[in-house]
Amino acid sequence: MRAVCWHDKLDLRVESVPEPRILNPRDAIVRVSATAICGSDLHLYGGFVPGMVKGDILGHEFMGEVVDLGPGVKNLSIGERVVVPFPIACGNCFFCRKAMFSLCENSNPNAAMAEKLWGYSPCGIYGYSHLLGGYAGGQAEYVRVPFADVGPLKVPAALSDEQVLFLSDILPTGYMAAENCSIQPGDTVAVWGCGPVGLFAIASAQLLGAERVIAIDRFPERLRLAATKLGADTIDYTEDNVTEALKELTGGRGPDACIDAVGMEAHAHHSLAYAYDRMKQAMLLESDRPVALREAIMTCRSGGTISVAGVYGGMIDKFPAGALMNRSLTIRTGQTHVQRYMRPLLARIEKGEIDPSFIITHRMKLENAPLAYRMFRDKQDDCIKVVLTP
Amino acid sequence: MPRKQNLMRADRLGYVVGGIALIVWALRRPTLLRTGVGGLGGWLLYQAYTGSNPMFRPLGIRVNPQPADPDVAETIVLDEAITISRPRSDVYAFWRRPEHLPTITEGDVEVTRDVEGEQIAWRAMRGARMLHFGALEFRDAPGGRGTIVAARLEYQPAGGSLGDALARISGRSPQRLLVDHLRRGRAILEAGEAPTTSGQPTGRR
Repeated sequence: MRAVCWHDKLDLRVESVPEPRILNPRDAIVRVSATAICGSDLHLYGGFVPGMVKGDILGHEFMGEVVDLGPGVKNLSIGERVVVPFPIACGNCFFCRKAMFSLCENSNPNAAMAEKLWGYSPCGIYGYSHLLGGYAGGQAEYVRVPFADVGPLKVPAALSDEQVLFLSDILPTGYMAAENCSIQPGDTVAVWGCGPVGLFAIASAQLLGAERVIAIDRFPERLRLAATKLGADTIDYTEDNVTEALKELTGGRGPDACIDAVGMEAHAHHSLAYAYDRMKQAMLLESDRPVALREAIMTCRSGGTISVAGVYGGMIDKFPAGALMNRSLTIRTGQTHVQRYMRPLLARIEKGEIDPSFIITHRMKLENAPLAYRMFRDKQDDCIKVVLTP
Repeated sequence: MPRKQNLMRADRLGYVVGGIALIVWALRRPTLLRTGVGGLGGWLLYQAYTGSNPMFRPLGIRVNPQPADPDVAETIVLDEAITISRPRSDVYAFWRRPEHLPTITEGDVEVTRDVEGEQIAWRAMRGARMLHFGALEFRDAPGGRGTIVAARLEYQPAGGSLGDALARISGRSPQRLLVDHLRRGRAILEAGEAPTTSGQPTGRR
């Protein structure tokens, strides 16, 4: 079969590899009908995530048809159409029972590696480095899905692939980011980053009752989408000082909650702190550039919440612990517990409350994945979200 | 047992010999460089005296100079624990099976103590040579959270503390084997299978 393989930083190749087979009783094999490139895949593409090995198959946003089942999977049948959540979770452990699926203790065969870097290990994730299990991903014609009796969600025939594909990651991720804000009536939520997760966080904050959402980015097409499609107020950080603008827009108090939908490769405009982070990252003295996170902490209103949906991998510098402590701020974060949100969000899609396909700008063949990655990274042709089909 | 000790007798003897050699070399014709090397020799002697190399401390190496088993003079000790969301009787029954004991060596295993639902201890021998001995203790986790399995394992590493330190750094140590073993047991008990990727496709050639 054909699959998108990581070979090195900025070196992806679509190659012929063997087809996956059942390895464990609770496995399924899914023939992929649609898969997407996630913003977090760009961290792998750029070489910012440790534990990648030449030949690793990428992709954690995918859906398709069940073509083979292990003897332990009783709730699926061959031929059923499913969307697969990116966290691999057993459904039985301490964390799965608390619906914290992305912390599953039984799905990362390389837990010892993750423990060295992070203290304890989270769950395994498809195509997301050997730290998170080294599982072959879904940017391929076929993919093996462990614990298939827990993860995959059957989808109604009436909904198209493009309407349900993002239940695998970014829609629940945007939703959890908004849920983590504990939105109260009258609240203003500021969202750093208007990529797919940021846009879904904006939409979710509105669904959860935010009075007002302020979107921050530098790409006009993304800000335009946030404004016209979702009705958010926007700040272009290359034109305005974000701190001043937020103060002004919130009556001098700051947003009640701030969502970082940017993560470890943040940009800033003409900023000394940004030059400092780029330099430290280049010298391997800092793995992540927390420009958006710092700004979110510094501008959040006292007693407010910072919700981190953007991916971080290692260590950051100049973390404003003083602001956090003295102003009673709360940080909430985590890889998304996708399994917890899939059904309720599918219901919202069915009711027409949200149609996640509005973010798709590019539809390409799997064979063109290397080009798609480059376009997405460089935001060529106003690229916001790419869906690949085998 | 003094907790701070992380050097075995062979290591300490080596440190004494090496330390004295460095000091003698430095004293024969003192220069700035040689004085520094002599200082290093003094540091080795001090480590031999305390039985502790501070550079091994982050690796968690611990030496037991008086092991409970009379057949061995000293051992390296591992203490690891894992919490499993299953009743104590199930967890005990799983590890009661000889093939499930977290033995870290090939060879014959002899169960030396077996208290139902509470404790299993074993010795691993090859012929008359003791390879390692260990014990699992089972107790209820608080708040109905299942069972805590506490494992203790004592062994004599090849190459003393230095050999054990190198093994731990390379990720192929008895400590890693023991932890992987416990984790695998938890996965089988809770999820019915252990996670794996061996046999999956890749673009490696």
